[in-house]
Amino acid sequence: MKRLQIPIESTTLPNGLKVVVAPDSTAPVVTLGIYYKIGFRLEPQGRSGFAHLFEHMMFQGSANAPKMHHIKLINSSGGLLNGSTHYDVTNYYESVPSNALDRVLWLEADRMRALKVDDENLRNQRDVVKEEVRVNVMNQPYGGFPWLDLPPVAFRNWANAHNFYGDFADLDAADLADVQSFFKTYYVPNNAVLLILGDVKPGEGLKLAAKYFSDIPAGPPPPFADPAEPQQKEERRGNVEEKFGTLPAMAIGYNIPQRRTIEWNAMALLDQALHGGRAGRIYRDLVLEKQIAVEADGGIDDIFGYNGPTQMVTRILHKPEMSTEKTLAAFDAAIREMQASPISDDELNQLKVKWRSDYYSTLEGGRGGMPRYGLMHLLACFTLFDNDPMLVNSILEGFEAVKPAEIQGVAQKYLRPENRAIVFRTPAAGNGKKEAA
Amino acid sequence: MPPIAATTAEMNSVPGLTAERAVTWPKVTKSRLANGLEIVLAESHAIPKFHGQLSFRSGNAAAIHRGVGLAEMTSTVLRTGTKNRTSRQIEEDLRGLGADLSSSAGADTSAIGFAGLSELAEPLLSLVNALAREASFPEPEFEREQRQKLEEVKLERTQPGFLAGERLRKVLFGSHPYAQISPSEQQVAAYKREDLLQTYRDFYTPENALLVMVGDFEPSTMLKTIGKVFGNWSGKKPATLNAPEPTQPRGRQVYLVHVPGAVQCQILAGCPSITRKSPDWVPLALTNSLYGGAFNSRLVMNIREDKGYTYSPRSGVNPMRQHGYFSISAAVRNDVVAASLTEIFYELDKLRSLPVPEPELADAANYLSGIFSMGLATQSGLLSQLATVALNELPDDYLETYRDKVRALKPADLLTTARKYLDSANMQIVLVGDRAQIEPQAQLFADPKIFDAQGTSLT
Repeated sequence: MKRLQIPIESTTLPNGLKVVVAPDSTAPVVTLGIYYKIGFRLEPQGRSGFAHLFEHMMFQGSANAPKMHHIKLINSSGGLLNGSTHYDVTNYYESVPSNALDRVLWLEADRMRALKVDDENLRNQRDVVKEEVRVNVMNQPYGGFPWLDLPPVAFRNWANAHNFYGDFADLDAADLADVQSFFKTYYVPNNAVLLILGDVKPGEGLKLAAKYFSDIPAGPPPPFADPAEPQQKEERRGNVEEKFGTLPAMAIGYNIPQRRTIEWNAMALLDQALHGGRAGRIYRDLVLEKQIAVEADGGIDDIFGYNGPTQMVTRILHKPEMSTEKTLAAFDAAIREMQASPISDDELNQLKVKWRSDYYSTLEGGRGGMPRYGLMHLLACFTLFDNDPMLVNSILEGFEAVKPAEIQGVAQKYLRPENRAIVFRTPAAGNGKKEAA
Repeated sequence: MPPIAATTAEMNSVPGLTAERAVTWPKVTKSRLANGLEIVLAESHAIPKFHGQLSFRSGNAAAIHRGVGLAEMTSTVLRTGTKNRTSRQIEEDLRGLGADLSSSAGADTSAIGFAGLSELAEPLLSLVNALAREASFPEPEFEREQRQKLEEVKLERTQPGFLAGERLRKVLFGSHPYAQISPSEQQVAAYKREDLLQTYRDFYTPENALLVMVGDFEPSTMLKTIGKVFGNWSGKKPATLNAPEPTQPRGRQVYLVHVPGAVQCQILAGCPSITRKSPDWVPLALTNSLYGGAFNSRLVMNIREDKGYTYSPRSGVNPMRQHGYFSISAAVRNDVVAASLTEIFYELDKLRSLPVPEPELADAANYLSGIFSMGLATQSGLLSQLATVALNELPDDYLETYRDKVRALKPADLLTTARKYLDSANMQIVLVGDRAQIEPQAQLFADPKIFDAQGTSLT
């Protein structure tokens, strides 16, 4: 069996900026990313959606690269760029032909040093974000299901439970002072990691990082709101009306063990047993065998990318003639099976092979046409959350050591009603019916 | 060594581009088995895995006489049983091989896509072989998938993007099979297992097939494995059907799909265009990139970054094997539908009237050639490019010469291309939204033909 070993160089600059470089000269392309340790969870109360709105503002202009220049400079170098807001991090990333590496480092350093935006930029991006919410949530069947529906039902700490895309009233209330204060608080070098992956010579990436970023002053350590949840003692349920879709839906979320524990490793393989595609027990039982559901999928989304409470979520769209009770009973039966007896060695071996294979694909996979997004994301999360980018080469071992009894153990301990939340999306009367002419 | 910081002057000005490194083209091995199976292999050693695709040069368009979407249904039921495996065994075998597999059909192609660990390549290829040759289409599985599909086709009629695409394709292609992107409930109910089997026997043959694999393997060894697995397969190329010519709609028309309660309007406008085989393909790709194909493009800068009408405007050329079409899409807030269309046409007409300034052209050419190289940097990206070249029968040096062709284009070429293909005067406009909110704005462009989500005319 071939083992993957990715060469990695890393350092921390005097201003606290962490730097991770993974040289690979196969193609003349380099992917660069900056991850700031700030996500939805830490945005201020009364400013729901702000972390994401702020991410948009980071493309609106910096000291030496006014609005449109940032995008134009990347695109015209033959590159792509994007950013995304997550629960615990916000990232900005670019893939460019390697002859544009200096330029991209300069651009990222410029906007880390000084954001330069005005009221018109903010109005413009507030409008853009509202259309983003409409196209992804408000005007789509099952929009926001379940990622926006579950948290307010499952969690009690505002950090975990609020609307991450933002209430429109909160988006409207955000002003330039909020933008600058958020920038000053969280967008400091000592709260970030810079990643350079691909066509850069060994040693060169660290030197370039120092050249462009070392004069940016560190800030005070950013405040950290504790996202811990009070102990849950009862099953939690909620209902949301489905405005467009024709099928009743439900999502069941179980709280999962803390990252990088033996229970977490076992939970990941339990997740694979339940949600691993068409061989997974949920799809097999509900769609293929009992034929109750039209869609049944889910799992622990982006398992390495969290640094706070999160859930394993199953998402089910079931046939209208099957009742909610019957559907949930079929789901519960699949869970009880995992608790009743340990899985066979054969099944566990299959799960481990698939887990390893999926992990390699994550490392190699790109996003939006940008190669090495997956490797970048894992290196960033291992650096910011675990202070150890080298985990990327060793983290598989914990999953490969899991035993059948450990999977049964976490099924019994975590897959209990008082550790879960359920949201039902019920179609409004008349959805999908023919319009009277 | 202490870090070397940049000087203030360096900090205040954009660094130039350093010398470009040449692209090292991945080594591509081409071969053909005696039974006609065409093979394209490329090495990529970033991870100990490989990606593959077994494609057949017949899709939904070639099966339309048996039913709309019948090739897609055939590909769906295909994975539910073979001579020696039940549906459950197939899925568990795949998991044990660390593999992902998909089977699907588009307008022109049916394909089994797969990815797995290099150390388990032969057993995965054997499973793909069984699906391509020994699928048994078990009756209960067919009936289950048919019931499943009935729910799916109801569901897709609640998605604005689907409704817009469906209407535009009907308008642009008329009686050509490309007009039908999805079956109705009645058409799904009329599917017969025997028709699936016949489609399978006709389409899934080595003479009709292309196998592309990219990954961590040694090509000559892989070629031997492929010969061992697929060598004794046989089967002829299916007869080709003659399809009617698409409609050439004249004049701007507006089609409104009424979705009560929609809080946004999905705009999709389009006109007939070309296939990848056309000599105008590269000039049109660059023209599109300037118009609305990149973040930095004119349309995105106008209606997103300047006016804030929409989150994700874009334009694209959609090539199929026989015909293509150009399209522009944007989901905009209800009160700016007319304003958005005005800007969409303003930017089209500007490209048709004025030559693109040289620096803007150079930027766009850099962009298109840059992202093209990036698309080859993952196993799945390279696979997709190699399959596109082979399935469209493009020249062998297509990938290698693409960037030079892009960079050779001049403003006059783009002006000619825009005038020929960005057919502003004959653009067909589809609007999906709440009639009460958007019909008066639609009226400003043409008297709209109005439909409900089921396709029933409301005018």
